[in-house]
Amino acid sequence: MPLWENRRSVLILAGLAAFNILLISIQIPRGAEKSLFERSIFFLYSPVQRAVTGAVRGLGSLWTNYFDLRGVRGENQQLKKEIFFRDQDVRFLEDRLRFFQSEAKVRESLAAFRGTIVPARVIGADSANPYQTIVLDKGSLDGIGKDMAVCDRFGNLVGRTIAPVSLKETMVQLITDKDSSVSVVSAVDRLTGSVTGKSGAFCELRYVLASASGGQPGEELLTTGYDKIYPAGLRVGSIRSLEKDESSPIFRRIVVEPYFRFNTIDIVAVITKAGGGE
Amino acid sequence: MKDILRAFLATLLAVLVYSLAGGAGPMLLVVLNAFSVVVLYFSVRRGEVFGAFLGTACGLVQDSFSLGVFGVGGLTKTLLGFWAGFVSRRIDVAPFFRNGLFMLVMSVLEMILWVLVTAVVRRESLNFHGGLILLQPLVTALLGSSLFAVERRFRARGSRGA
Repeated sequence: MPLWENRRSVLILAGLAAFNILLISIQIPRGAEKSLFERSIFFLYSPVQRAVTGAVRGLGSLWTNYFDLRGVRGENQQLKKEIFFRDQDVRFLEDRLRFFQSEAKVRESLAAFRGTIVPARVIGADSANPYQTIVLDKGSLDGIGKDMAVCDRFGNLVGRTIAPVSLKETMVQLITDKDSSVSVVSAVDRLTGSVTGKSGAFCELRYVLASASGGQPGEELLTTGYDKIYPAGLRVGSIRSLEKDESSPIFRRIVVEPYFRFNTIDIVAVITKAGGGE
Repeated sequence: MKDILRAFLATLLAVLVYSLAGGAGPMLLVVLNAFSVVVLYFSVRRGEVFGAFLGTACGLVQDSFSLGVFGVGGLTKTLLGFWAGFVSRRIDVAPFFRNGLFMLVMSVLEMILWVLVTAVVRRESLNFHGGLILLQPLVTALLGSSLFAVERRFRARGSRGA
């Protein structure tokens, strides 16, 4: 008892520190499922985030709707929604055509693809590094689950859904996250590799052999569908630079600029069912 | 009990600020850490034990919105809360500039600890966002000391009114 009274605060600190260290240590090595505790905290606080964003957007739209031209606003929103779907369709069509499929097959794929898009709003970004994750305002009640591809309004790949997925909120791992990996192929020279994030504005195309020829700055990269997460043909980004990797004589060092723009992703499309790889 | 409720509301407020900052621009999230401001404020007000508990809570909430290792924020903010509460009980940190300096030192210590723990846990170098992240302690100190200054002004006005 005297020890507790004398060193109460230090013992409490030691207990709390041990608790946090325990939390950290059960996640090492990384890649394991998120703990129930972490998911519970996300479930508890994500509605707050959703409410805050909703309230701010609500206040903003109240101002706009009541003091602006209401009818025009509604029509505009409808048009935006239509453009959103149209953009997805056009992008998907272009990508499929690029794979030299017949028009009939393209239409068939498109019909199946269209019903599987869930538009969602971005309500938050990663609290430690904004290039890692975002939070969407749609969840399992809207048909969203883990490992679904997420595109921006122009059909550019943004990332994939990851756990935790709550009833009305979902976390998305961005392709710029350093633990993210997307199987891609370059549009012209057919270089295949894996795009990995660097937790910054740019990504890296890995596993392209130093002996592989081709590849030009500006060349577009598309998903291959081999990873069974991202449907084939989605636009990922373009090659920014190609260098010889001094640290590894086997592979080339290729920097990739993702197409999606962080500052402009307000609405995204979650592809709830893969359209099928090639 | 009232302080616990206040601390809980302040944590919600930090989530609110974090949500708004995330919507305004990703770089704002790099320089603005509302959770640290909350932990520093209540640690100075209520001491090291309260600070340590609040640090754990705020850090874990922050971690739950991040893909990073869950518990790193919890650990660093626990220590931040404890240090801030402990030091503020031994030296007078009420004057504005001293308060700002104190918060700056605490925030820098928190950042150093966060960088070290993250580097050990993830075994790779961190992204400093072109040095922008180094502004975070400065912004935290500025916001924290401003919060105290505003509070003091309100209290002074209240006591004059009474």
